[in-house]
Amino acid sequence: MHVRVDAARCQGHTLCAMIAPESFELDDVDGHAHPIHDEVPDQHQAAVREAAQSCPEQAITVMIDHLNQARVAHGSRAEDRQ
Amino acid sequence: MTTAPDSSDTSSPTFHFDRHTAEYRESFLDITHEMQSKCPIAWTDTYDGHWVAAGGQEVFDLARCPHVSNDHDVHNQRRGYKGISIPLMIESEGFRGGMLEMDDPEHRFYRSALNPYLSPAAVRRWEPFVDEIVRACIDDHIESGRIDFVDDLANVVPAVLTLAMLGVRLEKWTLYNEPAHASVYTAPNSPDSGRIRDLYMNMVVDLFTNLAEIRETPRPGIINALADLRIDGEPPADIELIGMLNLLIGGGFDTTTALTAHALEWLSEHPRERSRLSAERDTLINPATEEFLRYFTPAPGDARTVSDTIEMGGARLQEGERLWLSWAMANRDPGLFAEPDSVILDRKANRHFSFGLGVHRCIGSNVARTVFKSMVTAVMDRMPDYQCDAAGAVHYDTIGVIQGMRHLPATFTPGKRLGPGVEETVFRLQKICEEQELARPITERKDSAQIG
Repeated sequence: MHVRVDAARCQGHTLCAMIAPESFELDDVDGHAHPIHDEVPDQHQAAVREAAQSCPEQAITVMIDHLNQARVAHGSRAEDRQ
Repeated sequence: MTTAPDSSDTSSPTFHFDRHTAEYRESFLDITHEMQSKCPIAWTDTYDGHWVAAGGQEVFDLARCPHVSNDHDVHNQRRGYKGISIPLMIESEGFRGGMLEMDDPEHRFYRSALNPYLSPAAVRRWEPFVDEIVRACIDDHIESGRIDFVDDLANVVPAVLTLAMLGVRLEKWTLYNEPAHASVYTAPNSPDSGRIRDLYMNMVVDLFTNLAEIRETPRPGIINALADLRIDGEPPADIELIGMLNLLIGGGFDTTTALTAHALEWLSEHPRERSRLSAERDTLINPATEEFLRYFTPAPGDARTVSDTIEMGGARLQEGERLWLSWAMANRDPGLFAEPDSVILDRKANRHFSFGLGVHRCIGSNVARTVFKSMVTAVMDRMPDYQCDAAGAVHYDTIGVIQGMRHLPATFTPGKRLGPGVEETVFRLQKICEEQELARPITERKDSAQIG
């Protein structure tokens, strides 16, 4: 599982880092969020999903790897917004 | 609800909506349910006519839409937009409410100057300071078994912390406290309104005095950041800086008080949930804080002005029309929140609207959460059996501006004092602020306050 924070949408609500502190870090100066890991470890995936659902700006995209591959194979967008 | 033609050619839903009446407070649930099921966006004729967005999706889309403006154009130099209040308050004619009544890029200059004082990392440094003033508030009453959670706790802590962050001397909190709250709950036709206006003016004069002093002899804090602010190389007019400071005081004082009072009242009425929150606080205090924010929505909405045509679900919003974004109603949308009218302390996926959405997201949200958690945790620790006195609780008559409380008396089993009271503590914290330069931005000072 990969996770991305859209910097243009994130407004620093901080809920993601509150819910999934192992997976999101906040900028010291403006509080905007960044994913910590490229690949989300299995034990943190549920929290990352919940963080994505809790984002007031809907700025977090969770990409499920096997879905990605299937979509690439079918020529569609390699993303799964949750 | 009826469907009637408005100024545009299409027929738009209309709904009689007046959030400033006492009836709105009493009928909030019915009005919310009716609007969400029949007209999540509707036109109302009240206050010279404006749109009301009540549905979660509508509020989400409009708050983040490039065709809505926060601008308050007091000198009619642009398009004459009226900012974030409906109706325009008399005090705010000719007076702009800081960056919340600005669009980008102007808003961005202020925001960037203030972020390093109010980011999560910046606010975390203040936690020992907050815990200390909370302790002092409780110690003034712990031996008596009686406290007013509004007057003796939830009014004091946000006021003292806000002044510390601004760089204003802490003992002045009483000068700021009453006008900051009373200007919200006092109706313009109240016999007390003259006195409140005078108190408000004293506060504004003190802000001007602080600004002038800090320009002369800089000292750390948000006022210093505003004194140094340049927009395209030019300092903003003093009246704009005072407007920004008023916004920080309005945002910093009454809203956090409102949230805390409502949560403490609810926890008194739900003792099992209170015990659970106390026992499981390590995992529950964060989601519970967000749930109280959602459920009570202390700042129930903001106005905007439509700056270009927007088509939305049968409604056609046109340039110059006013718009009310109801965070409070969006927070009860059953499409976004299961059982929206219940408090569920461990609610998941709580993407609430209580700090607003988009670039104007409440810049003080981290302060509000920190202060709220410190106060509620201390009350659960030191007054675990408290009971609010329902007969003595005073809610604001109307919730058009802030859903607040004026008084919330409670009784509890008396306990032991841990240290000095508010007066002595404020004096000591002032010295600590100066010695440790706590009000510096996170870019200059990383360490937490050392209270000792």
